[in-house]
Amino acid sequence: MAKAAFVLTLWLCTSLSVLAATPPKHLPTWSELTTDQRRTLAPLAEDWDNFEPDRKRRWIGIAKRYPNMKPDEQARVQRRMQAWAKLTPKERDAARARYKKMEKLPPEKKEGLKEKWEEYNRLPEQERRKLGSTPRKPPTTAQKARPPAIASPEQPAPPEVAPAPGPGR
Amino acid sequence: MNEQQIAYRIRQHLNRGLGLDAGKLARLKAAREQALARQRVQSAIPILAWAGNVIGKSGGPSTLVPRVLLPMVVLILGLTAVNHWRDSQLAAELEEIDAAVLTGDLPLDAYLDKGFDAWLKRPSY
Repeated sequence: MAKAAFVLTLWLCTSLSVLAATPPKHLPTWSELTTDQRRTLAPLAEDWDNFEPDRKRRWIGIAKRYPNMKPDEQARVQRRMQAWAKLTPKERDAARARYKKMEKLPPEKKEGLKEKWEEYNRLPEQERRKLGSTPRKPPTTAQKARPPAIASPEQPAPPEVAPAPGPGR
Repeated sequence: MNEQQIAYRIRQHLNRGLGLDAGKLARLKAAREQALARQRVQSAIPILAWAGNVIGKSGGPSTLVPRVLLPMVVLILGLTAVNHWRDSQLAAELEEIDAAVLTGDLPLDAYLDKGFDAWLKRPSY
């Protein structure tokens, strides 16, 4: 009796642990997304089905925020989406860490970051290299050819970052 | 003669060798193997033996549910909930950052360029 109860407890613990570790629900494949989601996430169409559940969940969250974004923000998302998705998980983590660091700057410094970036880009390449900058790769043909999914008020600009192939979040 | 002295004498005898005949040696060997076989059977289920002890001490199977099972289930459910909450917090934070990076004034390169990061750290900035 005691042994049976102990075995039952063990079984219960194992079942609960497995339940906790199991993803709660199936995340949609590209064809299962709604029309609006597909329209918003169009630059990710090719890669979507290879994304891990967490990444899909994040992109679905961004697609949900999309209608509430200003037109220029929507245009930026469209331009940057593919490049962001093509980065390696390590690159994305590094970028997020830098974003968090920049967010902590005092407001007057945060305001001037765009100008600082432009100023930095005017530095001779050699000097930027000395600071640790790596040469930026030109965009791939596929990216050049891909039109933005949603008409943006601005002229479509080239991708702002050279993607590096790789899976992950 | 106390226990230690007996053990000492036995050790001395053993060190000298017992000079047993083949029949006695065979019987001793068989007895030893039999003892080892029993020992293996016992040690194969120590966890169940331990469980039996625990349950026995806790007052028997009738008190098993309130004393052992229930706290265990509550603990596991609690840990699962905390884990789930932590994961969803992290996911929400990542989504927030991704959305900000994708929509912000600064291009992606600004967040990827180590040089820019270093340049911003200059004392003059």
